[in-house]
Amino acid sequence: MTALIAVLLLLAAGIWFGATADAVAEAAVAGHPVRAALTSPFRRAALMLSRQAIATEHPDRLNRLLAPACYLVLAAAGLSVIPFAPGMAVTDIATGLVLWGACEALVVVVVFLNGWSANAPLPLIGGYRYVAIGLPAMLISMFVLIGAALPAQSLGVGAVVESQRVLINAVRQPLGLPLFLLLGLSITLRGPFDYGDSADLAGGTHAEASGAHRLLWRAAKLAMLTAFSAMAATVFLGGYLGTVLPGPAWLVLKTALVMLVLVAITHLVARVPPARMLTWLWTVLLPLSFVDLVWAGLEAMR
Amino acid sequence: MAMKALARIAMRAPIPVFVATGRGWLGPCRKLAASADIAVVANIRQAAILIVAGEPRDEDRDALRRLHDQMPHPRATAWWGTRPFAEADSALEVSATDDPGPLLRRAFAALLARVRESEPDWLPDDPPNPWRGEGDHGQGGKGMMGGTPYGRPMAMTADDLRDGLALDSFSFTVGPFYPSLPPGLALELVLQGDIIQSARIVRPPLDPGKGAADACRSMIVGRMLHLLELDALARRCEAVPVDDRDAVAALRRRIGASGAMRAIPDGLGRIAGADARTRFTRMVAALGDAEASSFAGPGGRLVDLLPGLEWSEAMLVINSFSHRDLVALAPREVEPEEHREGHGT
Repeated sequence: MTALIAVLLLLAAGIWFGATADAVAEAAVAGHPVRAALTSPFRRAALMLSRQAIATEHPDRLNRLLAPACYLVLAAAGLSVIPFAPGMAVTDIATGLVLWGACEALVVVVVFLNGWSANAPLPLIGGYRYVAIGLPAMLISMFVLIGAALPAQSLGVGAVVESQRVLINAVRQPLGLPLFLLLGLSITLRGPFDYGDSADLAGGTHAEASGAHRLLWRAAKLAMLTAFSAMAATVFLGGYLGTVLPGPAWLVLKTALVMLVLVAITHLVARVPPARMLTWLWTVLLPLSFVDLVWAGLEAMR
Repeated sequence: MAMKALARIAMRAPIPVFVATGRGWLGPCRKLAASADIAVVANIRQAAILIVAGEPRDEDRDALRRLHDQMPHPRATAWWGTRPFAEADSALEVSATDDPGPLLRRAFAALLARVRESEPDWLPDDPPNPWRGEGDHGQGGKGMMGGTPYGRPMAMTADDLRDGLALDSFSFTVGPFYPSLPPGLALELVLQGDIIQSARIVRPPLDPGKGAADACRSMIVGRMLHLLELDALARRCEAVPVDDRDAVAALRRRIGASGAMRAIPDGLGRIAGADARTRFTRMVAALGDAEASSFAGPGGRLVDLLPGLEWSEAMLVINSFSHRDLVALAPREVEPEEHREGHGT
């Protein structure tokens, strides 16, 4: 029960923190007053709630609602396997990394459904395009996570944390965290990996969304950013491990750090066209994830 | 009570406006975009106020009406330096020399407080074209595909440009108010997936007019940065004071550090020896330089550059040209008898 409350609190706080960090980074880069940006998420949310949620002509109403709702649920499910302290996880299972991998893969389905449900061309293009980019990005994540599981000799997230008591995986497997962060950008539709909700498609899968529907999709993306950051902090930065502060505090701090890195990349790094990214994914990043796996295997055999 | 509290918080947000730019209005629109109190949005679904800046072309009037009706309630329009349509009887009017900011702020607050009535649709809630009951299922095409049942072209298989596979092709019109295209430009595109099979100019881009070189350049660089998912940097670019050398130099450095130039594939949209990356690099280098000349290409047609390109590549190619060069590259084409208007944002 305590872990469940912790998950819900972390999700809520993460949505607020992610929205604020985004607003501050956006203002700083755009040259606007940063102080006003600190409270802008509340104003933007209130504005979205005050506007009409327009439906296109003959949308797929069920999937229009299910897509953001499932995205939120996937974030919560992914977060449920993360321990806040030894043995303190909502779903303390021996195959936690597999459950997280399933959540990652289902994000592709959810984003596609969001694009499909509007019954309009630009969202549909965004949905198809996301599938093309999202699938190889998932493969990279799988290899990297298997690499992180090798020192623990377990697919349990708790065991992966405990295996980092001497050395965290970010140091032990230097390619792992950078590659995993790319997946984070992809499953949260951000910056250089935003191929589903991109500006060239006037917002892509949510181009036709307005009002509360738009707010729900945005909240779901921020919830996934929180879940992903917590997973990255757990698998590569030692999760709850740390001195002086209690375990949950360390996890929150490390999660916030990963979120800030992803927010910074979002606003500072350009996105390449999808065809070029697809080439890089298959010819550069996927081979690099093999190298990471071999590295992790050799390191585990020492 | 809760709704009132919500409205009070929402009123303090930047005013989300969508700007329909008319001929010669790039400069004033750029100044508007520079205001921290106004958020110029790239999608009409996010806007509360539609600003019609300058006299719209006669042929753009229907597209403007459709654009208006896509805006969620509560909504308003502001006509800046032009007379409103007859159906826009409750619209805001701003003279060409006035700053619309204060009026927009008051109207925005009144809309959210429900003191000001939201504007009704300008078009009847009817299909823009009649139903054509042809085909096995009455949809107008062959089998379950194709046709233009309400004047809306449906997907139909056709050979792909690259490998000859028969894939669904889909045609629709984008523009003249699509935010990723230069103002006024409307294209009819045939797509297979996100690959452009053919393109036709439906409306040429608006001539920016004399003395708008600086505004044009920063708006174009801003649009390119948006396309490269650098929205915040794009807003900085659209607002940068072009006579402030330090600010412009700092902006150039940030653009370079973001990898924006390298993100554009080498050789993309090459014409007269310069590709999209080269043109963009030149444009960034010329920011703040009123004397810098445009690319001044030797001719050619924009529509010949687009087939075979993926959607975002095509947008990058189109926006890599200066407005003046684009006017030359995308002249008005003779419209076929059966002209179709699709998703005209």
